[in-house]
Amino acid sequence: MLKHYDTGLFYDEMMETGGTPKRHYRWFYELVEQFSGTELREKHDTAQLNFLRKGITFTVYNHTGGTERTMPFDFVPIIIPKPEWLKIEEGMKQRLNALNRFLDDVYHDQDIIKAGIVPRSLVEQNAYYYEQVKGLDVPLRNHVFLAGVDLIRDDEGQYRVLEDNLRNPSGMSYVFQNRYVMRQVYPELFFQHSIETLEHQLSELQQILISHVPLNADSTKTPTAVLLTPGMYNSAYYDHVFLAQQMGIELVEGRDLIVKDDVVYMKTIRGLKRVDIIYRRIDDDFLDPEAFRPDSALGVPGLLRAYKEGNVSIVNGIGNGVADDKAMYVYVPDMIRFYLDEEPIIPNVETYFLSDPERLEYVLEHLDELVVKNVGASGGYDMLIGPQSTEEERDLFRQKIIETPSQYIAQPTIKLSRAPAYQEGRFYPCHVDLRVFIMNGEEPHVLPGGLSRVALKEGSLVVNSSQGGGGKDTWILTEGGDSNA
Amino acid sequence: MLSRVADSLYWLGRNMERAENNSRVLSVQLIHILEASEGQLLDRNWEEVIEICASIQDYYDRYDRIDKETVTHYLATSPLNMNSFMNCMVYARENAKATRDIIPEGLWEVLNEFHLEQKDWQEQPATSQHIQHYLKKVMTTSMTAQGVVESSMSRDLPYTFLKVGKWLERGEKVSRVLNVFCEKNRKETESRTSSYYYWLTALQFTNGYDAYIKNHPPTMEPKHVLEFLIKEPAFPRSIRYCIDHVKEAIHRIEGGKVSHYSADLFDMIERIQEEIEEADIENMNMEQLMYFLDHFQNRCMTLSRMFSETYYLVEPVSVK
Repeated sequence: MLKHYDTGLFYDEMMETGGTPKRHYRWFYELVEQFSGTELREKHDTAQLNFLRKGITFTVYNHTGGTERTMPFDFVPIIIPKPEWLKIEEGMKQRLNALNRFLDDVYHDQDIIKAGIVPRSLVEQNAYYYEQVKGLDVPLRNHVFLAGVDLIRDDEGQYRVLEDNLRNPSGMSYVFQNRYVMRQVYPELFFQHSIETLEHQLSELQQILISHVPLNADSTKTPTAVLLTPGMYNSAYYDHVFLAQQMGIELVEGRDLIVKDDVVYMKTIRGLKRVDIIYRRIDDDFLDPEAFRPDSALGVPGLLRAYKEGNVSIVNGIGNGVADDKAMYVYVPDMIRFYLDEEPIIPNVETYFLSDPERLEYVLEHLDELVVKNVGASGGYDMLIGPQSTEEERDLFRQKIIETPSQYIAQPTIKLSRAPAYQEGRFYPCHVDLRVFIMNGEEPHVLPGGLSRVALKEGSLVVNSSQGGGGKDTWILTEGGDSNA
Repeated sequence: MLSRVADSLYWLGRNMERAENNSRVLSVQLIHILEASEGQLLDRNWEEVIEICASIQDYYDRYDRIDKETVTHYLATSPLNMNSFMNCMVYARENAKATRDIIPEGLWEVLNEFHLEQKDWQEQPATSQHIQHYLKKVMTTSMTAQGVVESSMSRDLPYTFLKVGKWLERGEKVSRVLNVFCEKNRKETESRTSSYYYWLTALQFTNGYDAYIKNHPPTMEPKHVLEFLIKEPAFPRSIRYCIDHVKEAIHRIEGGKVSHYSADLFDMIERIQEEIEEADIENMNMEQLMYFLDHFQNRCMTLSRMFSETYYLVEPVSVK
């Protein structure tokens, strides 16, 4: 099957340049060789249908409205040997600790600004910095209950952080569903491998969630937690349903909640019931029309007051956006050094600020080699991939950059690693990345594996599901690379 | 349980039941017109079907003709008809989607599968065969969904709200069917054959023919049919059975007790039960029966409103 597979000039997760599988993929390779073409096609179709039938979809919005789509699933897993994973795990914990310390700091004493490490303007003029929560002591001093950190590998196979998501990272449900489908449709593949299980991870998540007890909660009772969703038309609604259901908490919308005397209640068939912890999947701006955008119909009037009074916990914290935008990203290694006095275990991708005139000049001259991103955008929108762009696209970006240079950053085009994908009856190499999920309460806990995203359009570098990306299962081998347990 | 969730479950029960019942009515009607000779079938027959499944007023606001194709389209797939089966199924799926964390996975999958297949159906030509196939699909989807509910849901609050919606919808629908046939009977004092034909249709519309014929072989006395569909305690589609089960469901919600906030609700149900009990179907003429059925439908609306208010399914008046 993989006989004519060409790794090209890229680092390949599975194959060596010579066409043999890497050690930790050897068993997988042999098992796949045993499948016939028909079997592979049938299994592929069964797997895709499974997502459709179960309605595991996300909604894509365009000018004609929303359409429900499934995320294409690719069965070739990303396999990570244990020692490599342990390093990622340490790196993620380290990074999250630093980011959390940073968030607590910028909303309190601002030591990192005073020390001259992060410019004041970058913090206080950030659109996601909220004066409203300055000086607020949040439960456990934890601002990030669930983070999603996107990792890539360069042409040396070195893992690098591409992006931190500290607001509302989605996709955790896919980690579980990908594994579920994989086990249903490709059980043969599991016989020879001993991999980290995902069981207990959701009860861990639930435990961590309810550890965020607000100051004034009734300590004699188990706190009541809810998941606040924008509703069924939100693109990540399935993620919300899944997490609420698995954690055994109510899935509420803004209209289900009411604040009375600075206490939050949900409206039940037996009247009002007090809510202690809100895992919100609504953006800051929409949380409370009294405190933020007055036109928000998704939020709950008075929520911020209840939060400030210590009557309710809101996770992830309000104002986390200041730490995870593409400009602040550049400073994360410095945060790690400043707060933890450690060197970053997983490095960043080299990044240029365009507010620096010399850099700006360089970038404008080398647009065809670089990746340019809007610091405020996400999901693969408003970005230019130099080597794959047309002259017109580059001209458009040149204008945009000259207009507001501080709105953009540039990065060298990394030769993103690739892995085989099986679609339409053949294997071909596709670029991949890995979203690692980190839960944080008393201490951070990393979900083993994560969501491997794959750019299924041949040659494409964009893995976002809204732009044709797919998902893969991610295996952490519990034993050495050539396990056959 | 959240009030919004309870409301969605209640409507999930209603929408599935409505889609199934309306499909059955149209399906039966389409078979009847195959059997009826030209000219026997009047516009009025279509009007009756529309009156059972939607609103004749609404229909004539949109169309100035009445024929098989137009009515079928209007009842089955018209996005403009709030009560078209397609809309009922779309609403039901949305109700299910809004309560996915509460209902059994299988229930959601059944409704989602219908939704996925519906797209194919829309592309097919509207031949009689395809229409019958579609109507059958609606009915089996509803029945499969009920099977999932009965076999896998705990008998607690979500189950109960679903069932209250179902019983109320069913009771109301049966009374609408009977109302139309009483009206017909009153207007057309024709031969016994056509009267036989009406009441047979009424039984088929309400899915009661098989059960009725076991009790009353092989007669088709109007009084018997009416008595059966209104008062038969053992038949799960009779008005009485539906109301008894609404009461039982609400009892379950209340743990068998009557509290101050639910007292009015129980009073209303008991009043409706008494009214059914006291109705002397045998000796009522068609006008009286129609009055009784109209009155019952109003009672159902009141009951539905009181139920919603008792459990805050509607936005409660703000408490200061």
